[in-house]
Amino acid sequence: MTALPQELYKRLKEHVDYFPRKEQAILMCLHEVQDYYGHIPNFALVAVADMLGLPLSHVESVVSFYDMFDRGTPARHRIRVCVSVVCNLMKSHELLKAIRELLGVSPGEVTPDGRFKVIGVQCIGACSEAPCFMVDQDTYKFESKERLYEVLSRYT
Amino acid sequence: MRSYPVTPNIYAETTLNLLLKRAKKPKVHTIEEYISEGGYQSLEKALSMKPEEIIDWVDKSQLRGRGGAGFPTGRKWKFAVQNPAPRYLICNADESEPGTFKDRILMERDPHLLIEGMIISAYAIGAHQAFIYIRGEYPAGYYTLKNAIEEAKAKGFLGKNILNSGFDLDIYVVRGAGAYICGEESALIESLEGKRGFPRIKPPFPVHYGLFGRPTVVNNVETLCNIPLIVGMGWEEYKYIGPSDYPGPKLFPVSGKVKKPGVYELPMNTTLREVIFKYAGGTIGNKKIKAVFSGALDCFSAEELDTPMDYSPFGFGGTGTVIVLTEEDDIVQACMWVAEFYAHESCGQCTPCRVGTYEQANLLEKVLHYEAEEKDWEGLDFVNSHIQPTSICGLGAVAGRLIRQAMKKFPEDWERYRSKVKAGVS
Ligand SMILES: Cc1cc2nc3c(=O)[nH]c(=O)nc-3n(C[C@H](O)[C@H](O)[C@H](O)COP(=O)(O)O)c2cc1C
Ligand code: SF4
Ligand code: FES
Repeated sequence: MTALPQELYKRLKEHVDYFPRKEQAILMCLHEVQDYYGHIPNFALVAVADMLGLPLSHVESVVSFYDMFDRGTPARHRIRVCVSVVCNLMKSHELLKAIRELLGVSPGEVTPDGRFKVIGVQCIGACSEAPCFMVDQDTYKFESKERLYEVLSRYT
Repeated sequence: MRSYPVTPNIYAETTLNLLLKRAKKPKVHTIEEYISEGGYQSLEKALSMKPEEIIDWVDKSQLRGRGGAGFPTGRKWKFAVQNPAPRYLICNADESEPGTFKDRILMERDPHLLIEGMIISAYAIGAHQAFIYIRGEYPAGYYTLKNAIEEAKAKGFLGKNILNSGFDLDIYVVRGAGAYICGEESALIESLEGKRGFPRIKPPFPVHYGLFGRPTVVNNVETLCNIPLIVGMGWEEYKYIGPSDYPGPKLFPVSGKVKKPGVYELPMNTTLREVIFKYAGGTIGNKKIKAVFSGALDCFSAEELDTPMDYSPFGFGGTGTVIVLTEEDDIVQACMWVAEFYAHESCGQCTPCRVGTYEQANLLEKVLHYEAEEKDWEGLDFVNSHIQPTSICGLGAVAGRLIRQAMKKFPEDWERYRSKVKAGVS
C-alpha cells in the first residue's frame, strides 16, 4: 500500500478526530483527497477506508454516489459549468462554446496537458449570475470570452 | 494556506431588514459586527427561558419551514421532544434546487445569525450536538461557518456551559459532494452517517428515528435564521410581520429573464407580480412573461401572476424560488431541462423513479426533435403520473409535476411539436 503524503495524512486525521464518530469524516476526507490529486486514486481510497475503519467496498460505494468525487482521469483544475434550468435559459451554451474555443474540450474531457477537466453540472446556486461556472472552489459569472480567458489564466 | 474561495456578488434587497439586515451587503460580517447590532442578545434571552417556553413561542409564531415543505416548525420540535434524549439538531444547507440561492447568502455573509439560531434551537429541543450539512458547491460558506463557529466558541456562545447556563453545545460542519438528493432530510441523515445519500422509507420520521437512530430535528438555514427574530421580538410582534396566516419574513431568490435578479426579503402577502415587476425590475427587454417556474416544482402561467407568495393551497409555496421565462423562451425545451435535472438527481433506489425520470427525459428529447409518436406521448403521460405514487421520497413524488402542469397550461406549445410530426415534417 502506498502511504499518503504526510501533509495530506495530517489533514485527513484532523477530520477523523473532529467528528463525534469517525465514519462521519468520510466526505471531508474524500474532498481532501480529490483536491490533492485532482481525482481519487486507488491507494488513497484504501488509505481512507483504513483510517475510518470501514470496508473498502463501503468507501467505494460512497465515492461512486457523489458527483464531486472523480475516479477517472485526473486534472489539476476542474471547471464545473452549470447546465441547469436557469443557466440554460441564460445561454450556458455560449459559455461552453467559449471554453471549447479556448481549451479545445467539451464536458467530460480533460485538456491534453492535464490542466483542466470540464464538467457539466446541475445548479450551483448562483443563478442570479447565470450563466455561471466554478473553477475548483471559486464561482464566477460568465461575461465574455475575454474575461473567461483572464479568469482561467489564474489557474496554472 | 489555501486562499478564500471566490464567491459571486449576488444582489440582495429587503423591505423588512430582518434576515438580510446585514447580508444585503456582500461581505462576511464578523462576530464583533454582529454583536454591535444586537446579535446574540436573543441567545441570552433564550437561555433565561425554559426550553418548553421557546418551543411554545416558535409554535405560536406560526413559523413554517423554509426548506420547501412549509411544515410548522413548532410542531416539528414538539414531536422531537416527546422522544427521549440524546437528540440532534441538523441544519439543512444543501440548497440545490435549480434557481435556489437564498440560504447561500445568509451563510456566506451573516453566519452568526444562523449560528445563534442553531444554539437557541438546540437548547429548545435539548440537543448537545448539532450539524450543518452544506452542499459541496458552497466552499465559501463552509469556511465562513467554520471560522464563525471558532469566533462564537471564543466568546463563550458555544462549547461547555454556554454563558454560564449549564447548557453545552458543539456545532459540526460537513460538506456535501454534489448530490441534490442529500437535501431530502432522511438522505441527508444517511449522508451524515457516512453513507450513500439514500432516502429512508418513512415513517419513522427523523423526529422519532433520525441521526444514529436518535430523535432529530432537521431545519432549513432560513428557518433557523428566523429563531433569533422570534425570541428577540417575541412571538406576538413577530406575527405582525406580513399576513396574519403566514407571518415572518421570506427570502425569494429571483432569476431568469428579469432585469434585477437576486434575493429579495419580503412579507408573504406580496404577489408574484410584485416580486417580478416591483422588485426585480420587470423582464429583460420588457418581454411578455411566458411562465414562472418555482424551482423545479411548479409551473405558473402569466394569468397566475397574482398568486400570493405564501404557503396557502393556492400560494406560491416551496422554497420561494422564482425563475422567469418570457415569450422568447420555449416551454417544452425548459421542461426538458427540468426532466434532465430529475433524471440526473434521482438516487436510483426506487426502480420507477430511476427508470421513469430517465425515460421522461428521453421522451421529451424525442418531442423536441419532432420524433415523438403517439405511443411516446402516451408513454410520457404514463411515466410522469406513475413515478409519484411508487417512490420512497419527495423527488420521485414531484419529478413529473412541473412538466404535467406545463402540458396542461400551455397546450399550444406542445401541439406545435406534435402537429409537425403528424404532418410528416421534420
Ligand atoms: C428531493 C428533496 C430535496 C430537498 N432539498 C432540500 C434542501 O436542499 N434544503 C432544505 O432545506 N430542504 C430540502 N428538502 C426538504 C427537507 O426534506 C426537509 O423538509 C427540510 O429540510 C425541513 O426543514 P424546514 O422544516 O425548516 O423546511 C428537500 C426535500 C426533497 C424531497
Ligand atoms: S423516489 Fe427517486 S430519489 Fe427518492 S428514494 Fe426513490 S429513487 Fe431515490
Ligand atoms: S441554474 Fe445555473 S447556477 Fe442555478
